Amino acid sequence: MGYAGAVVSDELSYYQQMIDNITEYEVIRLDDNGIVQSWHAGAERLTQYTAEEIIGRPVSVFYPPEEAASGRVEQDLRIARDTGRCESEGWRVRKDGSQFWASTLLTPIHVHGTVVGYVKVSRDLTERREQQLAALGAEQMLEAITDYEVIRLDRDGYVRSWSPGASRLKQYTEEEVLGHHVSMFYAEEDVRDGLAERELATAAREGRFETEGWRVRKDGSRFWANVTLSPIRDSTGELLGYVKVARDLSERREQEQLVQRQRDEILELSTPVIQVWDKILVLPVIGTLDSLRAARLTDGLLERIARDQAEVVILDISGVPAIDTDVAQHLLKTVEAARLMGTASVLSGVRPETAQAIVHLGIELGTLRSRNSLRDALQLALQIVGGTAAEREPVDV
Amino acid sequence: MSDDIPILRLGPNLMVTLQGNLEDTTVEHIERAVTHEVARTRATGLLIDVSGLSIVDSFVARVIARLVAMVRLLGARSTIVGIQPAVAITLVELGVPMSHVRTALNAEQGMALLREPTGR
Amino acid sequence: MTVLAEDAVLTMTINGEADLLHVRSMLRAEAQRAGLTLTAETKLVTAGSELARNIVRYSTHGQGVASVERLHRNGRHGVRVEFRDDGPGIADVEQVMRDGYTTGDSLGLGLPGSRRLVDEFSIDSAVGRGTTVVIAQWSR
Ligand SMILES: Nc1ncnc2c1ncn2[C@@H]1O[C@H](COP(=O)(O)OP(=O)(O)O)[C@@H](O)[C@H]1O
Ligand SMILES: [Mg+2]
Repeated sequence: MGYAGAVVSDELSYYQQMIDNITEYEVIRLDDNGIVQSWHAGAERLTQYTAEEIIGRPVSVFYPPEEAASGRVEQDLRIARDTGRCESEGWRVRKDGSQFWASTLLTPIHVHGTVVGYVKVSRDLTERREQQLAALGAEQMLEAITDYEVIRLDRDGYVRSWSPGASRLKQYTEEEVLGHHVSMFYAEEDVRDGLAERELATAAREGRFETEGWRVRKDGSRFWANVTLSPIRDSTGELLGYVKVARDLSERREQEQLVQRQRDEILELSTPVIQVWDKILVLPVIGTLDSLRAARLTDGLLERIARDQAEVVILDISGVPAIDTDVAQHLLKTVEAARLMGTASVLSGVRPETAQAIVHLGIELGTLRSRNSLRDALQLALQIVGGTAAEREPVDV
Repeated sequence: MSDDIPILRLGPNLMVTLQGNLEDTTVEHIERAVTHEVARTRATGLLIDVSGLSIVDSFVARVIARLVAMVRLLGARSTIVGIQPAVAITLVELGVPMSHVRTALNAEQGMALLREPTGR
Repeated sequence: MTVLAEDAVLTMTINGEADLLHVRSMLRAEAQRAGLTLTAETKLVTAGSELARNIVRYSTHGQGVASVERLHRNGRHGVRVEFRDDGPGIADVEQVMRDGYTTGDSLGLGLPGSRRLVDEFSIDSAVGRGTTVVIAQWSR
């Protein structure tokens, strides 16, 4: 196995090797002024620059000129330095001037408390964004045809046109409704109250009327609808009738879920799980962990373990500026949950302060193993996967 | 009633599958049936497949842990396989002591674990 | 078991062990309706299972009520569940909230564990007047 045998002295360059295999992401190092210090294949693929061309140049070359001029880059670096991370989405520029939509995470690298540089993780979202927009467009078009009811009423409220969407919503066919009064779609008590007539009068007076309320299908069942009534007038202002648009509001829920999914994806982005080897996952934890991020990280990792049936997971915490007891506790819970699933964990990049925090918690380390560097962690992981199952589970009962 | 408890014989090992929304009495019933079956067949290993459980509360977890302990007294080893991700983190938060149970991702790896020499 | 719906509050009576299954499947459906993540859903159902079992085990005749309320706040959805019984009540609430305390022969993790599993947790109990535990879980 090439990886296990490789002897690379410099920790960062080893990391670099691993990163070279990542083509979906760009993971590069900047110095404290935002000058590019390291480069890899994924970054080249994304931006078209070769290492010779880009190392030593300012990160602002990736930003659209107007953004770079506005001091955006400096601002992002400052936010990263002051708050421990800066996450953003926006247009980025390739060597040939073309732009792509990217999400970017900037995290400061500290040495003895001073910021000596930054790690920049970027991902091209263009394709996904376009797919999402396309999906959205198609969905809305479909909706317009089948999920909206768009019908025409005459000035007295009698139905004059019907649509497929209306059939779907209310179950009536065209013949069953043409020439009937619009109140046939209202709940009994509303009909008695003369609600339909009042709504039409309001629409005529105000130029438009929108409401939400119960409406009734052919089979008598009710649905909560959003209804808009707009008067149609001829050139002299004489009222000819109304256009009525109605929609079943259960749909709103689906929209909300779409937004939720997009939010999830962004969160997921900031904690990418990388498969470095068959059955071995690496979770490079970068930046500060708040409780929401920590919970996402655990959920994402455990789901990924189940999906890939990963036998070992390396939690690389060298990129976390500070590990307090809450975070340490959370990491150990994640390790224990992974163990319950049948997966061994190896911590990598534990700093002295972190070790103190963990030990002070008085937590039984159990099957948890830890290695100084990612290289050693990977070597151990390879041993575990290649070895017997007993090595995977040192506590034999 | 032990007919409806799916206990499978695989060489020297037994495999029991827990699934669905289980009543407490059913869980205890399975516990008894499996213990008897291990003793009767002199199995050396027991695989407990819980991949079909979408929740494991402290009661079910305790019965499983107890089953592992009893089976061990009967001279056999147990491995729990297929704990769902959400169930795993829930068990940890709940605080159920599970450090003495051996686990594996799936039945295949669980079997491999059972095949290995005890080392003790 | 009976289910009554009044506004957004759904009420389910608990009469025995079989009702644990109903409580679990009801909470699962409500969690999915509220769009909780699978993990949040699993934690809510597990906590509900613990609290419903406490009613079955410790309340008078194993009877009590579980009421579900659907929550909406700032575009997030949530599920709130109240477990109420008129049983013997709890003398020292602080004591039962500690890991491992039990008057039965179980693990003593139901109450303290449930608190860790949900976003919101409160318990109110008085000897002779019964026990009420309220939990809530939110979508992200
Ligand atoms: N609804 C209740 N009514 C009366 N006592 C209760 C109730 N729920 C819990 N208790 C008391 O609190 C203790 C701890 O409950 P719990 O944390 O669920 O653990 P366990 O059920 O394993 O004992 C119980 O042993 C019981 O004495
Ligand atoms: Mg209990």
